[in-house]
Amino acid sequence: MIIVDAGQDDIKSFDAKILFASQLARRGHRVVVDENSTPQPFDRNRQFEAAPYLTDCTDVSVSNLILIGAEQISDKTLARLRSYNLAPDTSVSALGRFADQQSYIGATSKLAYAIGKEASVHDLNEMHGRQILRNSITPLVSAPVLTSKDLNTIPSLFLVLPPELLEDPIALSRLEAMAHMRSFNLSLITTGDGKELVRQSQYWGLPVYGLADLPPANFTTLADMAAFLGEGVPGERVASFALDLMQSSGVLIDCTSDAAFVSTGAPALRGPSDLAALPIYLENAVLPNRVEIGRQTQQSDWLDSTSIRHIEQVLDLPSPSLSKPSKQNTNPKTLIVPTNGNGLGHAQRCLLIAESAQDKKNISFAAFPSCVGLVTGRNFPCTPLIQKSGFHAEEHANDLVNYLRLSHHLGHRDRLVFDGGYIFDSIYRTIMDKSLDATWIRRGLWRAGQIKSNAFDREKAFNRVIVPQEAFEELNTAYTFGKQIHQVGPIIQDATLTERQKKALVSRLESSLDVKFSELVVTMLGGGVASDRSAQLQTVCATLENRPDCLHLVVVWPGSKVSPGLYGWKNTRVVKTRNALALCQLANLVISAAGYNSFHELIYHMVPSIFIPQSAPFLDDQETRARAASERDLSATVLEHEVLMLEREIRSFLDEGKGYDIQKRLKETNLPARGNGLAAKIIEKGCNQ
Amino acid sequence: MSTRLTIAYVIDPRFSGGTSSAVAAELAISVRFAKVSVHAVSSAMFKGEIASPQIQKSLNEHHLELIWDQETISADVVVVHNPSFLKTNRTLNISIVCKHLIVVAHENFHRPGGKESFDVSHCLGLLDRATLSLRKSIAPISPYNRLTISNWLSLHAQHRNWSVFQQDWFNICDFQTIPPVEFPNDRRGRHSRPGHEKFPSIQDMELLFPKQAVANVILGGEVFLQSRLNKPHWQVYPFNGINLREYFEMFDFMVYFTASTLRESFGRVLAESIAAGKVVISDPDTASIFDGAVIACTPADVDQIINDFVCHPAKYRKHVEQAQLKLEEFSSAAFQKKVLSKLEQNFGISG
Repeated sequence: MIIVDAGQDDIKSFDAKILFASQLARRGHRVVVDENSTPQPFDRNRQFEAAPYLTDCTDVSVSNLILIGAEQISDKTLARLRSYNLAPDTSVSALGRFADQQSYIGATSKLAYAIGKEASVHDLNEMHGRQILRNSITPLVSAPVLTSKDLNTIPSLFLVLPPELLEDPIALSRLEAMAHMRSFNLSLITTGDGKELVRQSQYWGLPVYGLADLPPANFTTLADMAAFLGEGVPGERVASFALDLMQSSGVLIDCTSDAAFVSTGAPALRGPSDLAALPIYLENAVLPNRVEIGRQTQQSDWLDSTSIRHIEQVLDLPSPSLSKPSKQNTNPKTLIVPTNGNGLGHAQRCLLIAESAQDKKNISFAAFPSCVGLVTGRNFPCTPLIQKSGFHAEEHANDLVNYLRLSHHLGHRDRLVFDGGYIFDSIYRTIMDKSLDATWIRRGLWRAGQIKSNAFDREKAFNRVIVPQEAFEELNTAYTFGKQIHQVGPIIQDATLTERQKKALVSRLESSLDVKFSELVVTMLGGGVASDRSAQLQTVCATLENRPDCLHLVVVWPGSKVSPGLYGWKNTRVVKTRNALALCQLANLVISAAGYNSFHELIYHMVPSIFIPQSAPFLDDQETRARAASERDLSATVLEHEVLMLEREIRSFLDEGKGYDIQKRLKETNLPARGNGLAAKIIEKGCNQ
Repeated sequence: MSTRLTIAYVIDPRFSGGTSSAVAAELAISVRFAKVSVHAVSSAMFKGEIASPQIQKSLNEHHLELIWDQETISADVVVVHNPSFLKTNRTLNISIVCKHLIVVAHENFHRPGGKESFDVSHCLGLLDRATLSLRKSIAPISPYNRLTISNWLSLHAQHRNWSVFQQDWFNICDFQTIPPVEFPNDRRGRHSRPGHEKFPSIQDMELLFPKQAVANVILGGEVFLQSRLNKPHWQVYPFNGINLREYFEMFDFMVYFTASTLRESFGRVLAESIAAGKVVISDPDTASIFDGAVIACTPADVDQIINDFVCHPAKYRKHVEQAQLKLEEFSSAAFQKKVLSKLEQNFGISG
């Protein structure tokens, strides 16, 4: 194992060692960083970027220790190095930019005293010559990234911009115009402040990344060309991106006001510093010659001098253990990740898609604890994810662990399918790290004000978005556009029972509950997490209590909490099951929330239903959905406070024939075809329109 | 008419530790013997204009003025103490005119294994270019120091104009001696300035200060206080954590080993401990400086040596008494006899 450490303990040094560690890791070296060297503050983006490398270094077998930024070594670092008690055969190297011989000797001595042996100390100024960023802590080496870019496709251009340039509305409008050009796909990289400027403007739809959003290597994977505007090279992350891009045969265009790249001898093109001139420059000078430019960049002696191979030789690193993955993954694994909703709707939907796939053996799941049983019960392997908890020190602590789990589970160009409204950092970063073929299953029907433009910022990580439609057209809303959006019919199970199956189920119910019934009412109002439905439940129980031969089943998910007050009703029984739909098909009446799955299952299986919409702010617009059916007389809608109405509707359904009428109309209604098979096909074929 | 030798000292008086203590002691004897001036150079290594307490005290006692950054320094002999104070200087803006320039090394030029301790060539080069002199010498402060200087000179032919002063310019140790305890116990101690270079590996420290010892006292142990180490059998104090008299009462054996990548050029703390009535144990290179007054061994041998002394208290007392006699060789009188008189001879001057 290689430990990477830095001379100082500040944030800049920490970022530098994570950057260098990631470059070594990409080369297949096993690299760690001491978890006790994390800086304060240790913000979220840093945590995610560092998480794959942080470890307790007293607990690893160390083959090499590399110290960067060796020109200044703090007492804290020396103490940490001493505490490792390195074995005599551990190779210790240091890289620094030494101002003079005394600086070099001083570093060499300090290290020797702390570790009890002589380290191999190297001056980067001597190794590299003129560099695009003087005084960087990270060694600024170039390492190619593995990409699957097809030279025949439209190239991706990344513009690296300082935030002050984005303050100019004219610049933004120029960028918007560039985004519509067909000869390249535009993305922007800027600071967090710059990204916010774009988000707050009328040009919020521009694809923009924050510098700290992703590791520089991920940008290199995405970019075919990059143009740098502003003054100088704004930091080590940008420098690393630039070097890796050139080493990966990308085109680097130096549009800085001070020719920061070309003046060092870097094989970059000298582009216009005025954004207005850039499109024409690209069209005339760069795009027709892109491939040749990339080829010639690779021939550059300057670039070769920065190659990470030289550092590996100098540091005498062991041969990397990983074999080089192929550009194309001919047998990708598919990992399906349903988000942790309060019900199991996302997992249900994902299972339906998985079961419609042609090749099921390469499909597995990663799911939150409430869904694991459901998934494994349907014979798919399932890796558990960590649920968010108030007991965690930070709200994203679970997502950090999930990121590591997903990273271990997935390889380069595998497939990931995510079903949920909010794209977790773990999902986003894993997709980008591994260049996954990524599908986002995203329903619509958000409430007004619930969805903000930045919710779709991470859509750009996905190859395609599958939007399962609602049964009723007016409920469908397009939030984003483009050929990556695939609308499919509602994704719901087809679990229609035969008459024989219904009779058998009735017998089982009567036998297991020791009751005879001629009338069945099923209530599915949730486990009380999204909304408290105890008043409504008590109303239903009371309404049905004195009905002869009436069985009232309160159906909840296994593991749900049940109010003890339900057990006192003679006609009411609580049933914990995942197979609610079977029971619903027996029912004369179902009273349900109006979540996507429940609603569509009941409508498609022609079950007479009263919908009581949930109203929790994190849920979609259940009331609008419910009313779409009730206004067509295909169900009834009762709001949560309409308790007397609920009682009346129950009697109307059971005693006045309303249930029968609704069922008849449901049978006569043409509903959109289910989208299960199409969704599976889109995912398997990697289709875009 | 006798001509009094003129000696100009050139120092950065802000050095802490052994160098300043040695210079302070040397001034006391030099003023009796020669006409002395003391010149301070504001090197880039230190900040402020406050001399170390030892030097200031010596200057006050002997009515010497500290002359800061005089452009031209002229004397029969110019003695520059510890040239490493120039290691971060780009230039040296003084002129030295003398018959004999003596640079007292103080620090080893090489560390064990042959790596330089500091940019010696740069420091000597600055002095060389700043000096007009008939002779230029480097004065070692101990035989081990001399060895590193000779080795270094053999590898740097461009500095062949420097000779090595024939006599060791040792650190004057005029310590009041305290008799040894009658019945020693396995109580161990060590003191030094804080710094990783002053301590061997943790494995060696465990050998030197084991759990079975009655006491393990470490003064100047900041590296352990700041680290994650938990050693309940060690009493670790920061450098000025307790006064020296109290410290010396806490142990009977001074066990002094440094990082394997460093050797002391003199080891003043060992002389202090001998004077305080302790048996002192160290590595062979460091022990060699004291010609038998310090017991030489490896860390693995320390337990046995201490056990032997504890079991034979008369042996303990005899060793300490003999070691204290050896300290006479580092006294002011010895310095005058061996070092200053040499200067007199060189110049044909009687003081």
